[in-house]
Amino acid sequence: MSFLQIRALRKDYGIVTAVRDVNLTVERGEFMTFLGPSGSGKSTTLYILAGFENPTAGDILLDGESLISTPSHKRNIGMVFQRYTLFPHLSVGENIAFPLKVRRLPKAEIDAKVKKMLKLVRLEGFEDRKPAQMSGGQQQRVALARALAYDPPVLLMDEPLSALDKKLREEIQHEIRRIHQETEVTILYVTHDQEEALRLSDRIAVFSRGVIDQIGTGPELYANPATRFVAEFVGDSDFVDCRILSAQNGRADISIGSSLTIRGVPMHGGGAAGGMAALMLRPERLSLARGSVGEGTANLAATVTDIAFLGSNIHVAAAAETGEALSVRLPFGHEAASSLARGDMVSLGFDPASAHVFSA
Amino acid sequence: MLLNFDRLGGWKWILLGITGLTSAFLILPIVFIAALSFGSSQWLIFPPPGWTLKWYAMFFADPRWLEAAGTSFYIAAIVTVLSVLIGLVASFGLVHGRFIGKEGLRALFLTPMILPVVVLAVALYAFFLRIGLNGTVTGFVIAHLVVALPFSILSITNALEGFDKSIEDAAVLCGASPLEAKLRITLPSISHGLFSAAVFSFLTSWDEVVLAIFMASPTLQTLPVKIWATLRQDLTPVIAAASTLLIVVTIALMLLVALLRKGLKS
Repeated sequence: MSFLQIRALRKDYGIVTAVRDVNLTVERGEFMTFLGPSGSGKSTTLYILAGFENPTAGDILLDGESLISTPSHKRNIGMVFQRYTLFPHLSVGENIAFPLKVRRLPKAEIDAKVKKMLKLVRLEGFEDRKPAQMSGGQQQRVALARALAYDPPVLLMDEPLSALDKKLREEIQHEIRRIHQETEVTILYVTHDQEEALRLSDRIAVFSRGVIDQIGTGPELYANPATRFVAEFVGDSDFVDCRILSAQNGRADISIGSSLTIRGVPMHGGGAAGGMAALMLRPERLSLARGSVGEGTANLAATVTDIAFLGSNIHVAAAAETGEALSVRLPFGHEAASSLARGDMVSLGFDPASAHVFSA
Repeated sequence: MLLNFDRLGGWKWILLGITGLTSAFLILPIVFIAALSFGSSQWLIFPPPGWTLKWYAMFFADPRWLEAAGTSFYIAAIVTVLSVLIGLVASFGLVHGRFIGKEGLRALFLTPMILPVVVLAVALYAFFLRIGLNGTVTGFVIAHLVVALPFSILSITNALEGFDKSIEDAAVLCGASPLEAKLRITLPSISHGLFSAAVFSFLTSWDEVVLAIFMASPTLQTLPVKIWATLRQDLTPVIAAASTLLIVVTIALMLLVALLRKGLKS
């Protein structure tokens, strides 16, 4: 029996459907991230879990029991919000003690727990500060301590770091990972930032238009995106229009433009022979050479439009013969890159088995 | 800033002069009445020929004046409590509620601010005549509540809009029932709004005269009504003393609000 199950969840607001059909199981102790653009239904799903929204249809089971009819304050779920939600008139210590006081725990127990939580988020000695006297990052750490103080089985996090600057965000991401490992709490984390999702999560559920397009670990999503949307959203990608010549056993033979034929590309979404499709390539899996790249690989002819040096990487923008804008990422010191100039004709090579075709 | 005061040169003095004149225009009547209340002449001569506390002594010796002041205070206190309570509940609906016609309702709540008070007074008088509320404390309280509520709703909705609802949601997820979260978290966070609402409600009732004249009976008078009625009979400096006391209470409360606002910011 799975720890947390979301079954056929749906939420309509009038004629707008925010969540269409979400199905998900989460194991105890797992770090699961909902990744998607705004309006994809990820936050609505989280708010239904918190009990702030009632689903139109579907069910949520925690340890086998339905949560839907339990009001928010009896769900015993922890949550860290996108905005700063510390109680402004209470000190840090009183904030963390609040859920324990509401539960009428004895004072000695509350004091001990507050100390323990402050230690967990590394803010010992801050008990008597008011929220307004702390930085955004510190406030979110206190919010985390408050949400974990009553040992909730599930912790919800709704883009808790989106108000912080990049450096601070990375610092607190590390803190969150450490706290997840120390407490072994099950975390459901909402973000639109793919890097954050990849850095933190055990598994990622990619949301698009009210449904989950794909669930998997970061490497799984990156190597085998199930839909074009996932391919676009997780990692950088190039797309080239193509036509399917034949399709069989999940692999397709395709043609690009009038002359180029590529065989045996993994295909997703079941296209038929003769249909239009998109070939997806990862910028770092492309090789670049003047002239032909070589036997056994596919070659795309392209014209260099821009070259940018980004430290460990060189980023080359190129226009394919068929018109698509492509990007290529080469390691620093790449032989051909050093003498490359705008307007040069190059050949971009790739292994057909590592590319993907998404039928249109 | 486009207009920097320090760089205005000669204009600076003209602006200062206008400011001074405006302030004097606003404050002089109050200074004048306060000076007269301490003046020894019983004909309200200005400048006063001498100084005395006689008129205050007469005010505090006369049970009719004290009764009027007591009535004013009593009615203002009831109006304050009801205005803040009703204003609070209404504000929760107006700010956090989700229903059609919310903006219209909000505008409706504020109409007593723009409606001529005398129109309201005549309407209430005619209505209370039918149900027998004229000359009663209940009638007074209802009439003053109508004009006090807009101030209360304005300050509390303002405070609630500045308060992030997520904070209340966080308290609920922490295990507090929705009511407990409102009492323990939301109310303390908007206490400055509640306090402003209370002060403005009190003051609205405390120095209101038009509605009060319509509601009053020979046995039930507020201080402004008593001042007005006395003024029509004879021109005694006790009126100046009563007026000064009325103003002192008002100024004291306004100062308290200003001090608390400053304290909140720092």
